[in-house]
Amino acid sequence: MDVTGFRNTPTLRYLSFNSVFFFDDEGTPTGGFNLDGRAASLMDQAHRPFLAPHEMANATPVAVMDKLRSASYVSEFMQVFGSDIFDTGDAAFERATFALQQYEKESAEFRPFDSKFDYFLAGKVQLSAQEMRGLALFNNPTKGNCAACHSSARLPDGTPPLFTDFTYDNLGVPRNPDIPANANPDYYDLGLCGPDRTDLGSRSDLCGGFKVPTLRNVAVTAPYFHNGKFATLREVVSFYVRRDTNPEEWYPNAGADRFDDLPPQYRANVNTTEAPYNRQLGGLPALTSDEIDDVVAFLKTLTDGYQP
Amino acid sequence: MQRIILLLLICLFPALPAQADEAALRERIDMLSKELEKLKHEMEDMNSRTEAIADQQQAVNHATAPGAQENASSQVSIWGYGEINYNRPTDQSRDSKMDLRRAVFGFGYRFDEDTRFTSEFELEHAVVSADDDGEFEAEQFYIDHNLTPNTRAKLGLFLIPMGFLNESHEPTRYYGVERNFVETAIIPTTWREGGVGLYGDTRQGISWDVGVTTGFYLGNWDPTSTDGQQSPLGSIHQELQNAKAKDLSAYLALNYRGIPGWVAGASVFTGKDSQGDPSVSLASGSRVTLWEAHTRWTPGNFDLSALYAMGTISDTADLNATFVGNPTLIPKEFWGGYLQAAYTFPLGGSRSLAPFARYARFNTGSKYASLPAGLNVDSLPTETVWTTGVNFYLNPNVVLKADYQHFSGDYPGDVNQNRVDLGLGLEF
Repeated sequence: MDVTGFRNTPTLRYLSFNSVFFFDDEGTPTGGFNLDGRAASLMDQAHRPFLAPHEMANATPVAVMDKLRSASYVSEFMQVFGSDIFDTGDAAFERATFALQQYEKESAEFRPFDSKFDYFLAGKVQLSAQEMRGLALFNNPTKGNCAACHSSARLPDGTPPLFTDFTYDNLGVPRNPDIPANANPDYYDLGLCGPDRTDLGSRSDLCGGFKVPTLRNVAVTAPYFHNGKFATLREVVSFYVRRDTNPEEWYPNAGADRFDDLPPQYRANVNTTEAPYNRQLGGLPALTSDEIDDVVAFLKTLTDGYQP
Repeated sequence: MQRIILLLLICLFPALPAQADEAALRERIDMLSKELEKLKHEMEDMNSRTEAIADQQQAVNHATAPGAQENASSQVSIWGYGEINYNRPTDQSRDSKMDLRRAVFGFGYRFDEDTRFTSEFELEHAVVSADDDGEFEAEQFYIDHNLTPNTRAKLGLFLIPMGFLNESHEPTRYYGVERNFVETAIIPTTWREGGVGLYGDTRQGISWDVGVTTGFYLGNWDPTSTDGQQSPLGSIHQELQNAKAKDLSAYLALNYRGIPGWVAGASVFTGKDSQGDPSVSLASGSRVTLWEAHTRWTPGNFDLSALYAMGTISDTADLNATFVGNPTLIPKEFWGGYLQAAYTFPLGGSRSLAPFARYARFNTGSKYASLPAGLNVDSLPTETVWTTGVNFYLNPNVVLKADYQHFSGDYPGDVNQNRVDLGLGLEF
């Protein structure tokens, strides 16, 4: 249990709206579970934590099933899945992950939609002036442009916004030296194209792409980005708008090693065309310091459990 | 009728021989009088039949093209229309496009003298699939029934009777390659709803049309898209596709046709657009209202027309507040109008040439509800479009078109839109 991991832990909330991994009509990678989308379902995703050395560290599914046999709820488990469920290979392990999936899909705990922003959408509270300015900057395609990926619009069926489109992006997030594996200069976590995910290894254009997470509860789910590089929302928003205008603030050797958490051959994959990244070195960032505060104030309205 | 009888007498009597005796002459006159009386009754009978047929034809006139062919034995009618358009922006020729804009086929069935079914099915942009731009849609699907000689009812999916183009949108019936902006951006042609309507004509030349139908749904508004700037109502129409129908809408259209060659009319459509849906509860009281007035005068070969339309969407402030920063908020008011003049030169046979000019001004977001300080959005700029060109009719049902459109405003989402258009249109 003292083995350190490689990635930030994503939230399980609102994942019941996600889908299996696919490429859309324009070839955009979409859906899938885990930050690289390699798990096809919530059930599939539930396998790994049981067995990963840096998580629960069970050696085999049998080890998990042995612990399940001694759990206080084993009789209920057998009542649901059959009294002989432990007699057939890994069936009990599979049913345990299935049960976790169904819990995540069926329980409203995982999608309460009760943030301040949800109350605002329902007309029950008003956002403060600063929060409203932040929302406008968040949506504005020429300012924050956050909603381009973290959609703030309701789904077609009226479901409140999920603040993700479940696509992938390559942001050129700085390398995080706090991850022990990064001590090896030859180690890179390339997301979609490996090393954890193996089926897209030949798609060099996808190297460095990680899933767009929901921003619901983002204020209480630090650290941020796939490698947990940043500890505060202000750092995150500042990075978005100042990465290209002031790279020296983010990369130790900005002149030579910009996008230093990617091998040089994949740095061209970093998104530099869309706002707010489409700014020139030394130019004006898309958001001022006060506007960054406004966006952060808005992001704090996305925390579940708001009491009006 | 009297003139016809007199003509017949003149035609018949010169053949009488001068030497005929008086008795024979009287007998012959009596016989001819009887024949004439018989002819008179037959002609009156024929006239009444003609009027009945005309009434029936008028009843289906909204849907059927003049050339619609009816198979007398099956009582089935089939008609169609379509257009292929070529647009070439003068400053950005790389954006030139040619498109089978629409191919429409109509089917009608006459159940009896009073009841008829009308339908139209439209294929847009040539190819329909999940990966293509094309659409296939039912544009009309309704039953029409004669209640009295001057009053008819329609039930189903039918066109809303506003303006000129929405009900009469076949390419042979309007000038210019593209449908005019006012009757697409403000009045969302081809605009249809599901419901029931009553319509008819008075002896004074007034035609009327009133009904209750489905309406718009504000939950379809996409603030991230510019669709709502292109046509506010076009972006929230439902087209009877699982249409939310808690709140029904109503319309009224009146036209005066008492003076030959001249028509003047006005119409209004209004209805709530939240449909009671929780996702747009912030605009639960919102209502769409669209007004329109038009006139057309056709002295000789001239064809002069004018139209003005204005729409409003109320109670949008709270919902717009959740959209702040997005490109397209819901407008409170939008409007447009045009003036058009054309002249038809007969070219012999069934060919004709009709040069025209149209001046249009419109604004799809002239007013917005107030938002919190610092977040208000500006009105959209008013667009002005001059369209000049010619319709060349090979016959009344086949038209070749060419025009030039000059844009002098800042229409949202596009610049340098000036373009040359070519088109082929037909209907049968």
